[in-house]
Amino acid sequence: MTANPKTWKGKTLETGAVLARWAVGALFIYMGMKKAMHPVEFLKLVRQYEMVHTPFLLNSIAAGLPWFETFCGILLLAGIAVRGTALTLVGVLIPFTGLVLHRALVLQSLRAIPFCAVKFDCGCGAGEVFICGKLTENVILILLSCWLVAGFGRALSARHTLFHKSVE
Amino acid sequence: MPRLKSEIRTIVFEAVIVVIVGFGLALLANELSPRGLALSRNYFPTGPNQASAPPKPIQALPGAASTNEPSEAEQISERLHDKGLQELKLDQVETRFHDPRSQDGRIVFVDARDPDHYQEGHIPGAYELDPYHSEKEFGVVLPVCQLAEAVVVYCTGGDCEDGDTTAILLRDAGIPNQKLFVYGGGFTAWETNHLPVETGPRNSGLRANPK
Repeated sequence: MTANPKTWKGKTLETGAVLARWAVGALFIYMGMKKAMHPVEFLKLVRQYEMVHTPFLLNSIAAGLPWFETFCGILLLAGIAVRGTALTLVGVLIPFTGLVLHRALVLQSLRAIPFCAVKFDCGCGAGEVFICGKLTENVILILLSCWLVAGFGRALSARHTLFHKSVE
Repeated sequence: MPRLKSEIRTIVFEAVIVVIVGFGLALLANELSPRGLALSRNYFPTGPNQASAPPKPIQALPGAASTNEPSEAEQISERLHDKGLQELKLDQVETRFHDPRSQDGRIVFVDARDPDHYQEGHIPGAYELDPYHSEKEFGVVLPVCQLAEAVVVYCTGGDCEDGDTTAILLRDAGIPNQKLFVYGGGFTAWETNHLPVETGPRNSGLRANPK
């Protein structure tokens, strides 16, 4: 599932995958810490999605998710359990993107404006963003994460796979 | 094929470990963080006529809504009514601010915004009571509100529901509803109308330049 590191193409792919791993990891650390520093603001944003109504569940999501994102970012940056972490991120990003899209459609119908003109704070850690830019960013993140799940980005990993010795 | 199946199983198992360890550490970090949330607390207490629903986004874009749509002010009034709270408009708040009773504590103003915004500017003499970190200030503000004839709570205005939340917290703590008021326009409208603003701590005497 990985490119042959001896060929030029393989080396280029592997370098790109390592850079992607670092970029996704750094982005998740940045976004996670921004939310973790302002948990009340994040709690209010999570509530807007109407996913859960029980205070304990709502608080657990708002309290845990930012630190969880940071944790996943650190794992990717260090190269620990890369494929499992990337799969987790795909599992988080796909439903979250669906929720963001749903909220954007609600706001679009309320404000009667073009879809790409919808701007709101989606709770992503970057403040108010235009929906089309956010969706594009999420799709890129999902694709990069899928690339990492496929086994690319092994170089400079502390422990790429938890249960097998890393193949360098 | 069996190798691929085994690899997929390994990745999924790894993901499960990441989720379990990650969420465990995340909740631990929340416990240790001074800004952490109390998991069992209901941060959004509601009124008698309202379920625990999130705020409806305000349709405030000029020209976008049809004439049949309620205005921002009407939406705020409706929201407060649903929570069983009384609303004050800007002129009513201004009258109470200039009333001599606001000088001797019979009319009390409570600022429900976070400490940073409070320090940047608040209605002169207003008490600070951030509803999400109310443990510190509640012991000071509650006795003052108990002695007052009228309590006016405000936050930023518009979509901000922190004033509603603070008023409900005070009501739940025993302050009678008839003397509790929420200023729906909030601090933004107060400031925009060039009314007096105090910066720093309460009664600091520091006045901000009108915007």
